[in-house]
Amino acid sequence: MKDLKTVIGFTIKEMAKRKSFVISTIIIVLIIIIGFNIPNIIKLFNGDNSSSGTQNKLLVVDSSNLFEGSLDTLNTMDLGYEVQTTKEALTFDDIKQQIDNEQIDEAIIVENNERTYKLRYIVKDMTMMNSMPQDLMDSINTIYTNLQISKLGLTEEQIQSLAPNFEYSIEQTEEQKVSGNLFAMMMLSIVLFYAIYFCAYQVSSSITTEKTSKIMETLVTSTSPRIIVLGKTIGIGLVGLLQVCLFVIIALISAKVFLEPGILESVLDMSQMTPYLAIITIVYFILGYSTYALLYALTGSTVGKPEDIQSANTPVAILAVIGFYLSYFTMMNPTSDLNLFAALFPISSPFCMPFRVMMGIASGGEVALSLVILVVTILIVAKVAIKIYSNAILNYGTKMSVRDMIKVYRDKNS
Amino acid sequence: MGLKLENVSKKFIGKQAVDNISFEVDKPGVFGLLGTNGAGKTTTIRMLLGIIKKDTGEITWNGKKVERKNVNFGYLPEERGVYPKTKIYDQLLYFAKLKGMNKNDADEAIKKWAKVLKVEEYLPMPAEKLSKGNQQKIQFMTSIIHNPELIVLDEPFSGLDPVNTEILKSVIIELVKQGKYIIMSSHQMASIEEFCTDILILNKGKTVLQGNLKEIKDTYKANRIEIIANRNIDDYIKEYNMNIEFSKNNEYTIKIDSEENANKLLEKLVADKISITKFEIKKPTLNDIFIEKVG
Repeated sequence: MKDLKTVIGFTIKEMAKRKSFVISTIIIVLIIIIGFNIPNIIKLFNGDNSSSGTQNKLLVVDSSNLFEGSLDTLNTMDLGYEVQTTKEALTFDDIKQQIDNEQIDEAIIVENNERTYKLRYIVKDMTMMNSMPQDLMDSINTIYTNLQISKLGLTEEQIQSLAPNFEYSIEQTEEQKVSGNLFAMMMLSIVLFYAIYFCAYQVSSSITTEKTSKIMETLVTSTSPRIIVLGKTIGIGLVGLLQVCLFVIIALISAKVFLEPGILESVLDMSQMTPYLAIITIVYFILGYSTYALLYALTGSTVGKPEDIQSANTPVAILAVIGFYLSYFTMMNPTSDLNLFAALFPISSPFCMPFRVMMGIASGGEVALSLVILVVTILIVAKVAIKIYSNAILNYGTKMSVRDMIKVYRDKNS
Repeated sequence: MGLKLENVSKKFIGKQAVDNISFEVDKPGVFGLLGTNGAGKTTTIRMLLGIIKKDTGEITWNGKKVERKNVNFGYLPEERGVYPKTKIYDQLLYFAKLKGMNKNDADEAIKKWAKVLKVEEYLPMPAEKLSKGNQQKIQFMTSIIHNPELIVLDEPFSGLDPVNTEILKSVIIELVKQGKYIIMSSHQMASIEEFCTDILILNKGKTVLQGNLKEIKDTYKANRIEIIANRNIDDYIKEYNMNIEFSKNNEYTIKIDSEENANKLLEKLVADKISITKFEIKKPTLNDIFIEKVG
């Protein structure tokens, strides 16, 4: 136990000090922060500074008096513009001069061509946009429609009956109730896959480094191979878990600080983010990571040269990819038997079961069965991996073949 | 007491690596384990360290069966290895802890041995910044830091410069004085002759020679003489049908078939008033014996 603690401690220290680990962590943190700032960045480039209090000055030129002065109501629509209207017949050059002089930021020229009306949206440059903002177009359309309706001499009730008052809802024919949205599920599945896969890969990389740097012989005389494999797996897993937790915390803080209220809720169904889901996700991360880390420990120990690591790890990578895609594609049809199979099958269940829990379609029995299958798989993989690792780590020759591994496993004296 | 191997064998997939070997190291000192490449030395060492299991036989230390979990031997492997990116102090502390030391004792031992081996200045540095020789001294520290009773040294002097070789030799002598049991495997026969009282030579997994080095050498007849004369004596050597193995500036190493013939040559040289400053009848070296047994 003392040795296990020592190996875990050393592994954590080594992992956390790795330049590649520190740099990749910083990069991902920056990506998260930037990701949550994308709406702000878009606003910045679109000139929409409503949140910062400085509004863009928009001049609407309605020389034909098409809107009959009603465009002033744009100022009350919270569009992020300080709107001025004029009936003077200003030309494009006049507008250009005003923009150059920074009297205004942009302008709309309303042109009445007998049967059609043209609205020319004039901005300083079109680098970050290719059309008039949708909310501005919608607002102008609404103002014009209201103006025309008011001329029809309708009663208040008639006017109200023209405005749509629809209530939209969605229902399904399947008996099993599915909730949540697919985007969030897929994100969760992808994050789990990358977290599990890349943390597990570190175990293989660490073992191969020890083997190729010839430190292994000293190491196995200091403690047992079982302690080394378990210590490395736990140590790297803890660092990975802390890294994922750090990313989640950064994401939550960024959402709170950088996003306007309601934006996150419009993309994600936050009612599904329960403590139960958090616990299930962490449990499946740990178990999924353990499965793949032990498989990687096995393959990492069979190579003698760093250049062989890719080919040795390929079978595990293929298993992980099959597991992930089995989970990912069956998400499109979460009530299918194939998705249930993916949630129980040990190579795909770590990516699939949290998704089913989030969807609210996983029963307690299914979760329990999936966990039992996964734990039994881990115990079997651990037994085989530790036995082969114990024998393979001192083999500095060519990469062990599957046949050699089977022989080693069957040899009761090895 | 001490280390005892009885009828130990080990077979790997399709190859008998060690075939029924037995030996005993019953008192402190240096025991030489010799053999050509692939003779079974490393497999023997790994079995006696408990890293790999034997197929048959018995290995005991002070009467108790040797298993990985109940021995705490020191081992300097032939394959040198350190964590390249890790600070020397950190890796020494790691191995010391794995060998059961607490932090304070480990710290004290690291500082003590770093001073003895003259590597104190490297303790805060990552291993990749050290020369090969200094990395080797660090690994030697790893093998002795926990004060083991039995230490296995596989090619301890390879790659060391003369100054560092002398430092390591003095440490080994000191360890023997402290009552340590040392098993040394080396291809440098001069080192084995210098340190070892008992040896075992392996060839293709089998013991071809073992016993007290002096007694082994005593069983061999003298096979060469070394002469330093004041002039060329090639003609005298040919007259007595001897072969010159080496000659330079009137210094000769000559192969002989009997001591009697060598004495006749000396008598002839003296009779002809040739000045002789060195005349030594020599027994075969360990190198000669090794080549004879496994060559």
